Amino acid sequence: MRPRTRRATVAATAALVLGAGFTACGSSGPSADDPVELSYWSWAPNVEQVVETWNAEHPEIQVTVTDAGGNTDTATKLVTQTRAGNAPDMAQVEYPTLPSLVVGEVAADITEHVDDATRDAFTDSTWALTTFNDAVYGIPQDVGPMMMLYRADRFEELGVEVPTTWEEYAAAAAQVRAADPTSYIGTFSVDQTGFFAGMAQQAGAQWWSVDGDAWSVGIDDEASLAVADYWQGLVDEDAVLQAPILTPEWNAQVADGEILTWPSAVWSPGVIEDVAPETAGEWAMAPLPQWTEGDSAVGLQGGSSSIVTTSSDHPEEAAQFLAWLNGSDEGATALLTTVNNYPAATAGQEAATSNEPPALVAGQEDFYDLAAEVAADTIPVTWGPNYNVTNAAFADALGAAVQGGGSYREALEQVQATTVADMEETGYTVTR
Amino acid sequence: MSDAAPSPPSAVLGEHGTGGPLRARTAPSSRRPSGGHGRRGGGGRSLAGYGFVAPAVVFFVAFFVLPVLYAIYLSLRGARLTGGGALGIRRETWVGLANYRDALTDPQLLASLGRMLAIGVIAVPVTLGAALLFALLLDVPRVRAVRFSRTAIFLPYAVPGVVASLLWGFLYLPRTSPFGFTGIGFLDEPALFGSVANIAVWSGVGFNMIVLFTALQSVPREVYEAARIDGCGEWQIALRIKIPLVVPALALTGLFSLIGALQIYGEPQTLRPLTSSISSTWVPLMKVYRDAFTTDDIGGAAATSVVLALGSLLLSLLVLKAAQRRTRSSS
Repeated sequence: MRPRTRRATVAATAALVLGAGFTACGSSGPSADDPVELSYWSWAPNVEQVVETWNAEHPEIQVTVTDAGGNTDTATKLVTQTRAGNAPDMAQVEYPTLPSLVVGEVAADITEHVDDATRDAFTDSTWALTTFNDAVYGIPQDVGPMMMLYRADRFEELGVEVPTTWEEYAAAAAQVRAADPTSYIGTFSVDQTGFFAGMAQQAGAQWWSVDGDAWSVGIDDEASLAVADYWQGLVDEDAVLQAPILTPEWNAQVADGEILTWPSAVWSPGVIEDVAPETAGEWAMAPLPQWTEGDSAVGLQGGSSSIVTTSSDHPEEAAQFLAWLNGSDEGATALLTTVNNYPAATAGQEAATSNEPPALVAGQEDFYDLAAEVAADTIPVTWGPNYNVTNAAFADALGAAVQGGGSYREALEQVQATTVADMEETGYTVTR
Repeated sequence: MSDAAPSPPSAVLGEHGTGGPLRARTAPSSRRPSGGHGRRGGGGRSLAGYGFVAPAVVFFVAFFVLPVLYAIYLSLRGARLTGGGALGIRRETWVGLANYRDALTDPQLLASLGRMLAIGVIAVPVTLGAALLFALLLDVPRVRAVRFSRTAIFLPYAVPGVVASLLWGFLYLPRTSPFGFTGIGFLDEPALFGSVANIAVWSGVGFNMIVLFTALQSVPREVYEAARIDGCGEWQIALRIKIPLVVPALALTGLFSLIGALQIYGEPQTLRPLTSSISSTWVPLMKVYRDAFTTDDIGGAAATSVVLALGSLLLSLLVLKAAQRRTRSSS
């Protein structure tokens, strides 16, 4: 196995050296004869089709897309390749990861390359996701306002009402178990930091906040601990399934109709369509349950922006392409129809309302209206400079808690301690 | 049976002994004759000698010594904040022994060593025991289908580790397993240790069996003949003659298995997405990987690597020493 790994590394290095060679040429002003070559990493499906449209319209700026893996893989490779000085010109990055890439000198400050039209294509809260200290580090691509995907047919069959509050969700969980012992209303997965964080935000938590240069970390604040207690209660009563999601085992259970909801975000139909295509049409989307009846604000889970890297020799052209892809009506609409993303730009979200719903929720004609309604009321969030550390610590601590029977509360306190210790060692001022 | 090339156990050692400690074992015997030649040849000869070792030395320095030195250098460095603002910039800087302090005081490293030990305690004896058993069975006279059996037992070794782990992982999950055992949590503690060890055993038995079998084949047949004339049964031959004669090969395979256990990484890393029970620091090398890439702490990863490498070296030397003493006293 070892020689093979090494060979792959050599091949990858060779490819990179070649790639760097290509991007290096054409520095004397872009023209159709001597175009600027830009490389772009994105895991979005079919994004190369959207890029082809750009390339056809802009012979002077030619973009090549590479899928370097999902968010974690891409972020890891970006850090490593930035050290080697040969990262791609642009890359797709999830919002929580962005601050760590700013701190790691991967994401370039593109404030001077972004015009007002691009800025105005997004709502303030969306734009804030890629702006730190008034410097712009990326252009929002898609957003993940939190919603709940559920099996409409099975809810009806078991005579269970679709829950609108977390209290109702817990009651429905027990109802489902009583009506059909092989089924669960949902899953608690210890590696879903993003979901847990979103649900904690909904309860009023602020995992990171900045005051001047001083950080506060609130991963174990009261609101977050309440979320931990909530899920521990459900897991202890066997009211929800405690298992990692999107494993072959879980996918089989979903396909068999034994998992009735997946509270996550607007992008969830695409994921389930991939793992259980035979269930298409049986699902519907509902707003995420609330802590207080009648509230409507939810957190964001997932969603991504695209950054220009510090390795790029053509930040201006790169920013121009990203502004088109994410901020223009043409680009945002293509993201919706070709990539099946829920665009971050308001124009794309408006275009969505006249779009057909995803195949998984085929019967739900108002899917995109509902999504637009939810997206209009999301909770602003600040992600810390070491989300990667928190994310790893979360899965480890919660995993140990579900294994060893320790409390989720203590696990969360441990995540807090790990996060703060890492920030302090790096040199941040942490006030709590 | 006659197709196996007969070679003395020491030749087997030389052939597979690519690790440093093993070379040390054969070094004294090979150095002595070259000293004799040197007296006759004079200075030109010894220069030629250096020429012959040059490729090995160059590769050793370029691909072993330099990376080790670089790892030690990295282990003394860490990313620290520079520049103002809430976010600032992390830059690599000198941090002295801070990474070693963090590594040695990290309870997760200790816990991961414990898990590694638990897997090793299961995997090493079972691998060696099964390999020896199969080798002895195949060495019994008049046994049928030796070539087929040997290949069949060896085959899992040829399956890439990731494929083997996925294959077993799918067997462990009740839904994807064709046998559908529910009730046994193969991927939950404590069964998890057995499940991971099982993959290592499945992959490792074949190789070790071949080494032991080759050693057995090289034992002169007259020894057995003499034993039979003296009234030994096959059981007694196996216990009193064959096993003592393959002790050097057993020591070698034991060392390989031990180093394999210290380096366990692929199996748990591949199984990790299938279960909540495997943390990102489940075994020491997973912690190294996590620090280096997931949490972007190259210095910490380098420090842990250095600590682990020193520990492995020490343990290997101890085992080798013990095995040598055994071999010498038995011969």
